[in-house]
Amino acid sequence: MSEISSLRGGAMSVGAGHSAAPRHNPTHSSSQRETALSEERVITVALAGQPNVGKSTVFNMLTGLNQHVGNWPGKTIEQKTGTYRYNDTTIQLVDLPGTYSLTANSPEEQVARDFIIKEQPDIVVAIVNAATLERSLYLLAELVWLPVPIVLGLNMVDVAEREGYRVEPHVLEAALGLPVVPIIATRNQGIRELVQAVDILVRDPLRYAPRRPEIREDHQAVLDEIESLITGYVPSPYPSDWVALKLLEGDIEITRMIREQLPPDHWERVHNILKQHEDAILAVAGGRYEWIGRMMRAAVEQPRVGQVTLTDRLDRVATHPFLGLLVLVGILALVFWLTYTIASPLQGWLDIYVVQGGAELVRGALAGAPPWLVGLLADGVITGAGTVLTFLPILIIFFAILGLLEDVGYMARAAYVMDRFMHAMGLHGKSFLPLFLGFGCNVPAVAGARIIDSPRARLLTIQLAPLVPCTARMAVVALLTPAFFGRGAALVAWGLVLLNLIILAVVGTVVNRLVFKGTHGAFIMELPLYHIPNGRTIGMFVWGNTTAFLRKAGSIILVVSVIVWALSVFPGPGLENSVIGYLGLLLAPIGQLMGLDWQPMVALVTSFAAKENAIATLGVLYGGGEEATGLGATMAASIPPAAALAFLAVTMLFIPCAATLATIRQETGGWRWVVFNVGLLLVISFGVGILIYQGAALIGWGV
Amino acid sequence: MLDQVLGMLAEGGVHTPAELANRLDVSERLVEHMLADLSRMGYLRSVSSATCQALPPDDAGPCADCPLSRACAVCEPGGQVWALTQKAFR
Repeated sequence: MSEISSLRGGAMSVGAGHSAAPRHNPTHSSSQRETALSEERVITVALAGQPNVGKSTVFNMLTGLNQHVGNWPGKTIEQKTGTYRYNDTTIQLVDLPGTYSLTANSPEEQVARDFIIKEQPDIVVAIVNAATLERSLYLLAELVWLPVPIVLGLNMVDVAEREGYRVEPHVLEAALGLPVVPIIATRNQGIRELVQAVDILVRDPLRYAPRRPEIREDHQAVLDEIESLITGYVPSPYPSDWVALKLLEGDIEITRMIREQLPPDHWERVHNILKQHEDAILAVAGGRYEWIGRMMRAAVEQPRVGQVTLTDRLDRVATHPFLGLLVLVGILALVFWLTYTIASPLQGWLDIYVVQGGAELVRGALAGAPPWLVGLLADGVITGAGTVLTFLPILIIFFAILGLLEDVGYMARAAYVMDRFMHAMGLHGKSFLPLFLGFGCNVPAVAGARIIDSPRARLLTIQLAPLVPCTARMAVVALLTPAFFGRGAALVAWGLVLLNLIILAVVGTVVNRLVFKGTHGAFIMELPLYHIPNGRTIGMFVWGNTTAFLRKAGSIILVVSVIVWALSVFPGPGLENSVIGYLGLLLAPIGQLMGLDWQPMVALVTSFAAKENAIATLGVLYGGGEEATGLGATMAASIPPAAALAFLAVTMLFIPCAATLATIRQETGGWRWVVFNVGLLLVISFGVGILIYQGAALIGWGV
Repeated sequence: MLDQVLGMLAEGGVHTPAELANRLDVSERLVEHMLADLSRMGYLRSVSSATCQALPPDDAGPCADCPLSRACAVCEPGGQVWALTQKAFR
């Protein structure tokens, strides 16, 4: 990059007493002005640029105290004008409002383009931010169509270099066909060269040969036709080619102006062409982006080192259709492995010494108390809600790993890869977003289906949403798997999540074929950059979620534990003569098909209020043993592996919690679809459970 | 170029600005600029806000009970999810 020199203070003019206001006489052309003021030339230079590109800094640097602040005629937009003296030339500077384009969408854009077209300054100095050149060049792509020569001030080259962008001004100059001067406005560097370039171009306007963005080729003939129809009717000083372009873009103000100017038959023809090419704005704006892309490829070297490239490099694997899925599956396996390896021994210890020990302590302390009170506290509260609390270490580790993945920036990639997986299975489209929300909680998944326009498709997405394994179900599986499978727990938990996703994809494929009829929904997701995780953020994530779990354990889970205990005691005597016992008898035939006793079946029923209740219920129903061996050991001794696997699969696929069903009712406006959903999931969950157990029995494993 | 972006999106599925930039041989920032422009023209709409606003109102926020709410790629304020509008399909 060429060296940028500073504007020396002596070059700054005084010009006191000069009117700082620009001339507002469009008939007063540049050449006339030069002839009239042969000894002292006065030229008008407009400063154009997008907001925050340093345009005002350049203006202040040049004009110093010689500026006048007022309003643009008829507008409340601030107008800044000033003067600057360069050799024998007085430059009248006009600071145009900062605009992103010249489409007259805002009063600022209107003022900027009206000034350039109607007042025709001698030069427009377009200030662009070298660090965000793509964005800045869009305005230039519009400016080069106007009949005023442009000098480009390439500002913030230092910022661009710091960010790893290397802009070659000479190459950009050759590519654009107009003078390009690198500047650092805040350090007063390159400003003198900028003024010099303005002076040279004013003296030799023939040097100006800009390369303009072209309209997309297939619309060139349309543009030519419109231009030929309006030529001769376009009021001065509007250029016909620019007006034709703006008509195709659908510019309201230009359309109104041409409608007033054209004879009715001409307007009719123009209007018909415009109606036939309503999407021509894509061809016009698309041409500008192609032009920007060409300029960027020619003159800008993109960053090669640093965070962006690291993200790109990681994403090449993490978002790859196949490798990304492997990474996701691997990370999921790692989550469970780490959770179990670190937290399971702690959970076992808490279960034996705190829950079972606590229950024994209560029994001992309340030796003389009524048996129902001892039962309520020892078997209901402590072994019910208390058992749930022993799983806290597992949840803390689980949430810590989720928090880490979130903070690193991986979660968005997981969503992206998941959709690729669903896409491969035939399920894709608008159901993706609501279903993705289901990984957190099924309630927003059902409610989020509102974004789907078709009522039929929306309804079926709602039916599918409960198949997404929410964190509550994942937590239950995370808690129960080590009790049954010990060292193989991670593999089993991982397989269960995968099973849910496969069933979701299979059901989804059927739904997609039948309902979406293969229509392709499309989404664009902005993926955040990967970054180093912050311990405090992860800590807050774990704290927030753990306290939420504790609140649940202290409220709904505690209440359900007590109810389950009460129903397991009354009317009595004995469990077999209790309400729960009768319910168990009712469910026993289905349970037998999966090798399950009635206790796990009752746990499934109580999980309806909240998924975590399954653990509390198992705690109450299995925890009242004589010996303090822990819930895990008791269950493992009572439930064979094949039946345990079937139970866990059913838990993952079982009917959703009450809150989700209430949301389904709210979203579908009745109970019919709630009943349907319950029926569908009962069939799927028990069907899979029976298949697993009977399949295992067939090969003689774990029965 | 804008019609190329729309053409790629019409293939269906989920895309990222990085992937589109790679296929168009332009920078990711230019793609983001184009997406914003397509949204202004009515060919794309931001669905993340629409989805998250559709959630049932709750005193503590619609996603208060969701452990993944902070990790959510959909309702995350920094991220953007765009979808094609009917106008784009026409």
